[in-house]
Amino acid sequence: MSRFTDPLTGADAVGDPTAPELGGGEFSGAGDSQANDSDTVNKTGTTTVGIATEDGVVVATDMRASLGGRFVSNKSVQKVEQVHPTGVLTLVGSVGGAQSFIRTLRSEVDLYEVRKGQPMSMHALATLAGNFARGGPFFAINPILGGVDEAGSHVYSIDPAGGVMQDDYTVTGSGMQLAHGAIEGVYDREMSLDDARDLAVRAVVAASERDTGSGNGVYVSTVTDEGVEIEGFDETDDAFA
Amino acid sequence: MQDQNQQAYDRGTNIFSPDGRLYQVEYAREAIKRGTASVGVRTADGTVLAADRQVHSSLVEEQSIEKLHRIDDHIAVASAGHVADARQLVDFAREQAQVNRLRYDEPIGVESLAKEVTDYIQRYTQSGGVRPFGVALAVGGVDPDGTPRLFETDPSGTPYEWKATAIGGERETLQGFLEDEYRTDLDLDGGVTLALETLARSNEDIDPEAVEVSVVDTESHSVRSLEGDEVAGHLAELEGSDE
Repeated sequence: MSRFTDPLTGADAVGDPTAPELGGGEFSGAGDSQANDSDTVNKTGTTTVGIATEDGVVVATDMRASLGGRFVSNKSVQKVEQVHPTGVLTLVGSVGGAQSFIRTLRSEVDLYEVRKGQPMSMHALATLAGNFARGGPFFAINPILGGVDEAGSHVYSIDPAGGVMQDDYTVTGSGMQLAHGAIEGVYDREMSLDDARDLAVRAVVAASERDTGSGNGVYVSTVTDEGVEIEGFDETDDAFA
Repeated sequence: MQDQNQQAYDRGTNIFSPDGRLYQVEYAREAIKRGTASVGVRTADGTVLAADRQVHSSLVEEQSIEKLHRIDDHIAVASAGHVADARQLVDFAREQAQVNRLRYDEPIGVESLAKEVTDYIQRYTQSGGVRPFGVALAVGGVDPDGTPRLFETDPSGTPYEWKATAIGGERETLQGFLEDEYRTDLDLDGGVTLALETLARSNEDIDPEAVEVSVVDTESHSVRSLEGDEVAGHLAELEGSDE
């Protein structure tokens, strides 16, 4: 709380730098929803993979949603969404938390661009996302942010406590160890976007084979400085470049 | 009757007169004219802010009269008008600059900062029981992408962007001088000289010790206050060219 108040409304004139400007709900530490019965909240289970190359970023996700880890509640979930003209975010963890998080980030990105007259950098977007994850009502999420800006291609993982870590490639979700194994030793920063796509799909397929929270196909997103493409495949074989 | 009406309309900040004017805002502009001038000059290599401190007594510590204020690494403001009002806006601007760093982990743009401040000023023209800010600021700095920028804030809450501008007393005269003398190919040193030359138009006995100059250059992106002897050097250069 700053010492400056709005003379019209009496509200804090500086505002909480870690809170969303719009649609944050009651934004003061994790809400009661954190305590919701985990058996009745749709979870993505999930394997989501992000790979950065010189030419752009590939993000691949599986398509399964589950209830209580015992029932496949949806077999065609799109777990990667565009949040920025050249940036995507994956849904990992609570579906409600992740969807709300994505809606909020989209509006923040649009507001930033229209106010400042230039697109938000990936570093700024990752910082903002970390702030929201840390302080807000978007409970139990662990997404990947992938995107391209003037500085190049970037992949970040964002953890539920607001930790933001950049890497060349990253994996989040219940199948993360399996997917990591598929990528380790194969990744090369100079690999082509097509090779990166094949690698990301193979990693999701490997996790889908053995992780009960992941499966039912793959969504693939490619991000370049031109924009974002997202496509879903029920048959994973069709997803390769 | 006419007078009575006018008095009614200038009592509240949030009341328009029948001809669409906000008298309190216009009176705030008068308050600014009573202050000594500050000057801002934008050059290709950075932005220059200069202010003349009016010292009313030889016993006053000159350093305690602050008309230039650092807002963040890359932005400073010069003020003209009510010092106490300026200090409130300066601290508001400092907080906003830090909010941008906390929120996005990047330095705020000069335009964004100027607009945060003017939006805040505007609220004091539309609320009951408050008066407008009796101060104008020249907001100068370098954007994160390296572009020098210079803005002015007005008591109405309108932001203006300038290549060079003067705020405070004798503004019209100084602005006219800047309009004649400003060149787009000025370097930073040339900008300092022009700023001092402009200030000298309002005060012939300009004293190097009483002048404050800050520059933000495109290389370092940081605010630097000129030392007294640097200012004296520039002033000596001016006198030399007059003869």
